[in-house]
Amino acid sequence: MKIIVPVKTNPDLQMVRIKNRQPVLEAVPYILGDLDKNAVEAALQLQAEAGDTQVIALTLNQGNRKIKDTMKEALAMGADEAYIVTDDALVDTDQAGKALAIAKAIETIGGADVIIFGEGSHDGYSGQVGPRVAELLGVPEIGFARKLTPGGPGIQAERSMGDFIEVLEAPLPIVITVASEINEPRIPTLMNIMKAGKKPSTDWTLADLGLEAADVAPKNKILSNLAEEQDRKNIMLEGDVNAQVAALIDALTREGVLEA
Amino acid sequence: MEKVDVIVVGGGLAGLSAAYGLAAEGLEVILIERGDYSGAKNVTGGRLYVSPIRNMYPELWEDAPFERPVTREFITLMGEGNSTTIEFAADKFAAQPYQSYTVLRATFDLWLSEQVMEKGGMVIVKQRVDDLIKEGDKVIGIRAGEDEIGADITIIAEGVLGLVANKAGLRELPSWKDHAVGFKETLELPKEVIDNRWHLAPDEGAAHLFMGGVTKGMLGGGFLYTNKESISLGIVLGMKDAKERVDKIDIYTLLDDFKANPTIAPLVADGELVEYSAHVISEAGLSGIPQLWGDGYLMTGDAAGLALNQLYTVRGMDFAVASGYYAAQAIIEGKKQNDLDAVGPAYEKMMKESWVLKDFETAKNILHFIENPRIFSHYPNAVGRLFDRVFTLNDQPTDSIYTKVMSSVKKDFMNVTTAKELLGMRKI
Amino acid sequence: MGTTVEAKLGYNVFKIDKERHIVIDTEICNKICKDKTCLYICPAFLYKLDDQGNNTVDWEGCLECGTCLICCEHDALSWEYPRGEFGIQYRSA
Repeated sequence: MKIIVPVKTNPDLQMVRIKNRQPVLEAVPYILGDLDKNAVEAALQLQAEAGDTQVIALTLNQGNRKIKDTMKEALAMGADEAYIVTDDALVDTDQAGKALAIAKAIETIGGADVIIFGEGSHDGYSGQVGPRVAELLGVPEIGFARKLTPGGPGIQAERSMGDFIEVLEAPLPIVITVASEINEPRIPTLMNIMKAGKKPSTDWTLADLGLEAADVAPKNKILSNLAEEQDRKNIMLEGDVNAQVAALIDALTREGVLEA
Repeated sequence: MEKVDVIVVGGGLAGLSAAYGLAAEGLEVILIERGDYSGAKNVTGGRLYVSPIRNMYPELWEDAPFERPVTREFITLMGEGNSTTIEFAADKFAAQPYQSYTVLRATFDLWLSEQVMEKGGMVIVKQRVDDLIKEGDKVIGIRAGEDEIGADITIIAEGVLGLVANKAGLRELPSWKDHAVGFKETLELPKEVIDNRWHLAPDEGAAHLFMGGVTKGMLGGGFLYTNKESISLGIVLGMKDAKERVDKIDIYTLLDDFKANPTIAPLVADGELVEYSAHVISEAGLSGIPQLWGDGYLMTGDAAGLALNQLYTVRGMDFAVASGYYAAQAIIEGKKQNDLDAVGPAYEKMMKESWVLKDFETAKNILHFIENPRIFSHYPNAVGRLFDRVFTLNDQPTDSIYTKVMSSVKKDFMNVTTAKELLGMRKI
Repeated sequence: MGTTVEAKLGYNVFKIDKERHIVIDTEICNKICKDKTCLYICPAFLYKLDDQGNNTVDWEGCLECGTCLICCEHDALSWEYPRGEFGIQYRSA
């Protein structure tokens, strides 16, 4: 079996400071998103169960200067091979462009039996790219899986539907997106980090996928990206405790927090 | 067990300096750092004195991401209700080659780790070394989690606490009797504001030390270094004084009091807090340096106690870089001669014959000297009293300037204790 | 009024492990230690006595300086660095 895990490397959001409502991205290290790690882990667990399986990590480089180092995290977790597509046109592309490039890359790799995404990316979290790739490849998709087992015609997946749990099975090839509950991603060990450097890693540009910049040109544009602003009312209540309590109840009632 | 030429435990300046030298000579070196990146766990005041280490890796410093070269030195003595500041500027400090630079470790160490990788060294981050592996007395490698890697030589560059070396019986844990804790805030300020407040030409920097009231008489002082667009403001406090203090003052409050002090408040006004950090510093001088090597290992940087506080200069990072450099040189030579047993003695010899251990030798009585609480209370107050008299006028007939100065000097400086302390200074 | 130390820690990046890296031996702490230096010497002010008078530590906000470890004369602390991937990650320092 061949499993491809398209992952996104993005700035470590915990390290991002907000200054003047704008994220300060300078010097922020890139990491694999948590859900991407869930996806890699799911692939590795399938590999362990199914045996004779190759796990490939694939990414589009959207401006990560150290993309090779970041992808080593996936290799150190246990992926066998990495593919990195780097192209200036990918930096500002949108979900449609990314899905097209990923679908083409999967075809260029030679297709896959299972393609596993995180349910959304660590930063943008649109949740679109997985389903779009399924559509482009013309294969079925199961979203938000929280358990995967090889079996039936191909694979069984379980997902939580709120009030009930749905178990689905589908033939291969298939696209699956996984939810964070599916597993606890392993932390790479020292030896595996050392081995990761020796695993094959292939660099492509869009041209290698038979694409041009125009194919991935964004159809929508991000006009601004601002942190939410919380205005505080800064009301200080004065007087003795009873007066303050009365004033507080009065203020909260006027705000509609308490019912009159 | 997989084996390499050299394993470096810790990716601070000592470890990186060693790894850089080794990788540049083509040795197989693996550096293991527990932070997300080199610098993620490191703290400096800080200033790096480049002059002592410039010739070690001359190609490195040109492009190093320093914050600002230090062209102005300030020392403020904080007395009771007053403060006296000395500002020292010298033409030679304001010209290339600069003697020292302010640095921020997250930027600086990360950059140095990239230089190591460029030379072919392997830097592994996010991994904690748990143990040294020993065969008899010989260190033969390291263990991290379940994994073990062997090495001809292990360079211990794990920092001041020395937890790994201690577990392996190679050194003691630091003692509260001769260590200090430093804690600081990084405060963002616009470039021009920094230039104005410390009288700096663009891109030049200041180092500002504070003694006296800042530590409420305890061993230590305040520091302020100007970075590109921030200042590092902090306090170093001797653990012994802090620990034994009767009123058990919560030490973190000293920094808030410091910032609120009328002398400091205008300097740090509108500074936007971006980080709060802390680190332990050795004040032990020469007596704090453990055995520098043993079978299969070398000790470098803070792990080897290489920090020196001489009140007006506080050094550590230059010693770290130098010890890493000498460790690398000793190993390279040992490899060439195919004589690894010669590595440890060669390293120690280089350290002893260079300024590194000579400077520790020169300053060997410093701790004894600075342990004197009068330095942190009597003298800052006495200087304040002197200038208070000089500058004060009221509706009474005033004394001559000579009388003013001499009465202060007689009272506060011309006494047996001060004379003894002056004599004591000869030893430092 | 300065910023509280808790608020200062809020400006730092902490990657929090499920495993705690500092464990207090309450037995030693309660019975033997009189001075309890850790309560006032921690620059992040992480040690506090709970309602029962037991010493507790908010290890998640640890700056990993080791001052408490050095100052504890009764070996009441088992203190390790957090595992790789965890703990304080300084962005300037």
